[in-house]
Amino acid sequence: MDLHYCDWAGSSKGMNGFIKSLLPKFAAAHPQIEFTVSPRPSKHPVIIGHYINGRQKAICVRNMEPYEILKKVELLRDASGEHLKRTTKPVRSINESVRGIWSPYHGNGMVV
Amino acid sequence: MKRLRLDRWTGQLLVARPGASPVSTSLAAFRPASAPRCAAVRHQSTAATPFTEDSIPDDHDGTDHTRFPPLEKLPPRSTSLPSPLPERALQSPKLAALHARLSLSQKLPLQTLARALVDASADKNPQFNNSNLAFVGMTLINYHVAEWLMCRFPRLPMEVLYSAMKAYAGPTALHQVARSWGIEYAAAPGGEVDPGLLQFSLKERGDAMTTFGYKRAEAEYLDKYKFRHGISSRVVLDDDFGETVHNRLSNEALAARPDTEYGNELTRSLAEMAFATCARAIVGAIYAHCGRETVKDFVNAHVLSRTLDISKLFSFRKPTTELSLLCAREDFEPPVARLLSETGRLSRTPVFVVGIYSGNDKLGEAAGSTLEQARYKAATNALKSWYLYSPGEHVRVPSDMLSEGAKPWEPVYMDIGEIIAR
Repeated sequence: MDLHYCDWAGSSKGMNGFIKSLLPKFAAAHPQIEFTVSPRPSKHPVIIGHYINGRQKAICVRNMEPYEILKKVELLRDASGEHLKRTTKPVRSINESVRGIWSPYHGNGMVV
Repeated sequence: MKRLRLDRWTGQLLVARPGASPVSTSLAAFRPASAPRCAAVRHQSTAATPFTEDSIPDDHDGTDHTRFPPLEKLPPRSTSLPSPLPERALQSPKLAALHARLSLSQKLPLQTLARALVDASADKNPQFNNSNLAFVGMTLINYHVAEWLMCRFPRLPMEVLYSAMKAYAGPTALHQVARSWGIEYAAAPGGEVDPGLLQFSLKERGDAMTTFGYKRAEAEYLDKYKFRHGISSRVVLDDDFGETVHNRLSNEALAARPDTEYGNELTRSLAEMAFATCARAIVGAIYAHCGRETVKDFVNAHVLSRTLDISKLFSFRKPTTELSLLCAREDFEPPVARLLSETGRLSRTPVFVVGIYSGNDKLGEAAGSTLEQARYKAATNALKSWYLYSPGEHVRVPSDMLSEGAKPWEPVYMDIGEIIAR
């Protein structure tokens, strides 16, 4: 996860506070995530999450408070990297169905 | 009885003995005599590094370091080394993240994990590349996959067993596994690269031995005249996936093929091999530091947990003949195909449902658009249900007996063999 900040600009005030106060604890709680903190002068602060499936998600966190940024960081942590999709079916499985597929050629049939 | 001290056996993995290897002694001379096994790390050290920038003139690559200061303070001469120094592993965030992501034990030090990421094509010195760990890992993965397949599906024909082995433990599958661990690769190997990146060279193959098997005497003719090689000779001579050892396409032949979306065939095969070797080396490293039980759990969790539909691996040339041979061998009544139901015989899309019976027992059933096709499919289904017999989902495998306090071994079901030997 990349965290970019600017030392001078006011929109990075919350980001600087987040990096100073909340990030060490968050990074220690998530050793599986690699964090890089780098300055990006005269630009808005950005968090970029890089995912194993090769995609990345970027969130601009200008003018946000440290705890708002923590919410965004948790959002990136919980995302899988896939596009957000509406899930209509609660369960998806690659196992074949136990009951099998219904066949019109078996059973007693229906008299029309 | 005293416990075996596995951690003492693996000291040689981390300790580099100077002059022990005849290859690239000039490079080995730059290495530290023995890397510390558990070096104390001082993060945020304010002490000046003992090396000044003036002391690294001999590997100067023309970069103006006053204009482009290096991102990381590198040890001297590191750009002239083929792979990063082992002690730099402790400073790599990528490596620590990978260690945590795989939930590896603290017994497995970061230096060994870093070594598992150096391919033989990047660093030829076997004391610093992963070829030895990969060989251990390959034997372990193949053993666990093979014993599980044999106990779970005791009647699999050898050909299907080989392709199932390849689908679980072959280079393509392990490449996917390593990618799913989030291992990234360096553009080119070198001493200045982050040790958390997989390092392999796209220019040449590493000459590490990563498989069992013999080079066949008739190897040339196998390719030239398409010699038939039966399954029995494959068991004896070839590697764990039943493939001839010599039968690797040469670099030129692969590079001559048309480019795909991501590089040409040669670079793709090299990358795939490097990722698979890395996955095997990590398994080998876990065995070396944490022992047998941990590595078995790791292989179960990462290799055997993948879904594979074994029934898709079958292909029968003459299913009806094979089925009647099976019935003759097992003293069943000879199989008879019976039409169970049909619809639209004179229409454009007829459907026939054919069942294969041996006496009163239905062996298989299938629907097809012609009578012949339905009969063939029904015979195929009957053969598949014979070959895919399984004693249960949670079968005991021989390596279960190695754990302490294991229950007495009950013999597993062994089949007398396939119906038609190929």
